[in-house]
Amino acid sequence: MLATVASACLIGVDGYPVTVEVHMSQGLPGFTIVGRPDASCREARDRVRAALHSSGMPLAAKKITVNLAPAGLRKTGASFDVAMALGLLIAYEMLPQSVVDDVTFIGELGLDGSIRKVPGMLPMVDAAKTDVVVVPPSAVSEALLVGKPKVRCAPDLRSLVEALTGEASWPDLPEPVEPGPSADPPDLREVRGHEVARRALEVAAAGGHHLLMVGPPGAGKTMLARRLPGLLPPLDLRTALATTRVHSAAGAELPPGGLIRVPPLRAPHHGASAVAMVGGGTGAMQPGEISLAHGGVLFLDELGEFSVDVLESLRQPLEDGSVRVVRADHRVTFPARFLLVAAMNPCPCGEADQPGACRCSPAALLRYSRRISGPLLDRFDLRVKVTRPTARELIEGPSGECSEVVAERVRRARERAWRRGVDANAQLSSKALEDCAPLKPAARALLEAALVKNQLSARGLQRVRAVALTLADLADDDPPLDSRHVAVALAMRIDLGAYYRRIA
Amino acid sequence: MSHSVPDEAFALAIATLPEVGPARRLVLHRAGDLRTVWSRICDGSIGCDPQVRRALGLGIGEPMLTEEYSPIIQSWQDHAASLDPAAELDRHLTAGVGVAALGSARYPGAFVEDPEPPTVVCWLGDIDDLVGPRVAIIGTRRCTQAGRDTAFELGYALSAAGVSVVSGLALGIDAAAHRGALAAGGAPPIAVVGSGLDVIYPPANRALWSQVAEAGVVLTELPLGEPPRAWHFPNRNRMIAALADVVVVVESRRRGGSLSTVAAAIRRDRDVMAVPGPVRSPAAEGSNALLRDFGVCCDATDVLLRLGMSPAARRPSAEQRPLPEGNAALILDALGWQPSTLEDLVARVHLPLEVVTLALIQLEEAGWVSEHGGWFERRAKTEFAG
Repeated sequence: MLATVASACLIGVDGYPVTVEVHMSQGLPGFTIVGRPDASCREARDRVRAALHSSGMPLAAKKITVNLAPAGLRKTGASFDVAMALGLLIAYEMLPQSVVDDVTFIGELGLDGSIRKVPGMLPMVDAAKTDVVVVPPSAVSEALLVGKPKVRCAPDLRSLVEALTGEASWPDLPEPVEPGPSADPPDLREVRGHEVARRALEVAAAGGHHLLMVGPPGAGKTMLARRLPGLLPPLDLRTALATTRVHSAAGAELPPGGLIRVPPLRAPHHGASAVAMVGGGTGAMQPGEISLAHGGVLFLDELGEFSVDVLESLRQPLEDGSVRVVRADHRVTFPARFLLVAAMNPCPCGEADQPGACRCSPAALLRYSRRISGPLLDRFDLRVKVTRPTARELIEGPSGECSEVVAERVRRARERAWRRGVDANAQLSSKALEDCAPLKPAARALLEAALVKNQLSARGLQRVRAVALTLADLADDDPPLDSRHVAVALAMRIDLGAYYRRIA
Repeated sequence: MSHSVPDEAFALAIATLPEVGPARRLVLHRAGDLRTVWSRICDGSIGCDPQVRRALGLGIGEPMLTEEYSPIIQSWQDHAASLDPAAELDRHLTAGVGVAALGSARYPGAFVEDPEPPTVVCWLGDIDDLVGPRVAIIGTRRCTQAGRDTAFELGYALSAAGVSVVSGLALGIDAAAHRGALAAGGAPPIAVVGSGLDVIYPPANRALWSQVAEAGVVLTELPLGEPPRAWHFPNRNRMIAALADVVVVVESRRRGGSLSTVAAAIRRDRDVMAVPGPVRSPAAEGSNALLRDFGVCCDATDVLLRLGMSPAARRPSAEQRPLPEGNAALILDALGWQPSTLEDLVARVHLPLEVVTLALIQLEEAGWVSEHGGWFERRAKTEFAG
């Protein structure tokens, strides 16, 4: 007897429809799975047999062959368990084939017959070609985001079979959870002092400019970075879906309601490998940290401690907004448009980088300066110094504006950018900048002076201009750009080379 | 070996021996006629000399046999076998380097009476510039802009008053002092370096190196080709102390190398002065500690008085920079003489970021302020700024 049941599998962040074919015949009893399954996939036979037994539907020993079509695709994970169990029941003629026609089943089986969620429910439901998709109850909110197929759920194999045969009605979908206010995000109001760094955060959020903070340990670089997602506008639907797909595929927990609307913040430790950062790995291609940060912020603390390979692997995604990971078996493109925020010590001694106070030898400084390549450094439009606030500032200093007020300014600045046809000013090309960011004579003179002093490269000049445009947007000033905006943009681009030259 | 080979050739040859510092060099130098000493090194019999044995830490009670094996003497012998003293001297002379051995006529008088005189002195420039009063200006390589400016001013004023500035051609204070002396174009600058005269260290000072050699003299006790080893610098410092009538420390760290120059100066009864620095500045910790025991140097007049010279009736030069006005004046006041970041300044003056950055750019253009890696520092007078 032959049965075919629809299911789906996950590669990278994309789902692929898979047909599970079950064939039962006379012969030596056995259970074979073909169609390039990996270990977790092959172990399904033990899970399925035990789950059926627990659900009161034991199987007689027969020769069973399961084929996962298309046979060329490598399959990983346990998403076919439910489909396999149903296929067996049909093959043993305990269930008619007609009840599973035009239904896709995605879920893992427990030995007790319960149906569980697997990573990547959202992209797999999206890939399903049938009108109905059956998922475990915990994955319903995620599956509903796709909007296309009708979503049904079943908590265990027994109730699924009863619903399919019509003995019982389908279990109700769980109540949709309102995406209520998430746990209090850190607010900018709690930051005392740091006048320049706060402004840099605002500019980074408004203009999508990558930000590098240089300062000694304990200056508050991490504290500042954690407040950046709160300044960014909520994700638009397209980005939100892409980000949710990535998080779903990585098996990360999704917010109530399923959809990620708050820009994510990812802060991988500096021991991260290149694969963990950009994605890949053996078997299923896993999205990396840069894709999990899609639409949000990637925060790299202690930038100088990351391995050089990892940092260099960021350059192409920073340019393209996506990363293409190619392995012998798979070619996968992950989305990766993120705001890069990095923090580093100015020098190995870190404690006291001020002129005349640094204890590092010239050789140590030179070694340290080589850790971050020029091209990567070039990606940071904003480079600011963060110093430890004094005790007086901490205690008496005025607390600044709250995130809400700043976020409103950021939103208005982004609206100006949208009118220029880009998401944020950082994406403006040099030519576009000529058109939409003309300079007042005094502003032009400032830039020319900086060029003459060799503070700026030609490329740097355009970046300063883009930052100045963002500053003007935030101040609700119309171009031509005023010299005060250019002055602040220049001040927010400190020359890191000076750290390593200052001893000369 | 012909008889016309001068002592300098042997002194240089001895200076190239392995594991020989100034002290051992001096012992060898005084072990007899240099020609004889060299031939005894060549045949290994120098190992019989009691003074040399003591310097090498070899027993002198036992029979002093040439055959007794000493790895150092063996290595000297090996080294000497492949070295021709006359060619060694020739190498220096063709490179335009002057050479004088201790005891010879051209040997600088300042070292003759010294407790640890260099056995040989090599120089670029004019060795006769070592006449007249000399003041050493020394300090840390990692100095503040204020320290750099002070060293420059002192170098300028002293050179203009006819006092030669002695320093070590290192980064930071040393270089600033030399630049000041060169800018004044007065008494010739004197540099003592810790490497062979063809090994320019630090490379960043290449131009300064040749300017000092042109206007004054660059000297060392090391032969050509000697790399700048760490242990050369304390030895170089003793030569600076020996040459100077007064040693002025501009900025020194708590355990800075300048303090070894000070120690050498004290051993030689030279006057030591220190420039006061901010109490909390790590760059001035060592120099401030010196103030408890030694003289205070606030400007060149203090030094000139110490030298017994009457300070030149120098009119305080008029301020050439346009005086800052309004916000710029306020910010310059708030900056003070300590390095500050933009963040500090904004917090101090309570003005918008735009106003502060614009004013800082103006102050920088006018020469009131310098900026390095996000740190702003107030400049002293820029009439000297090099």
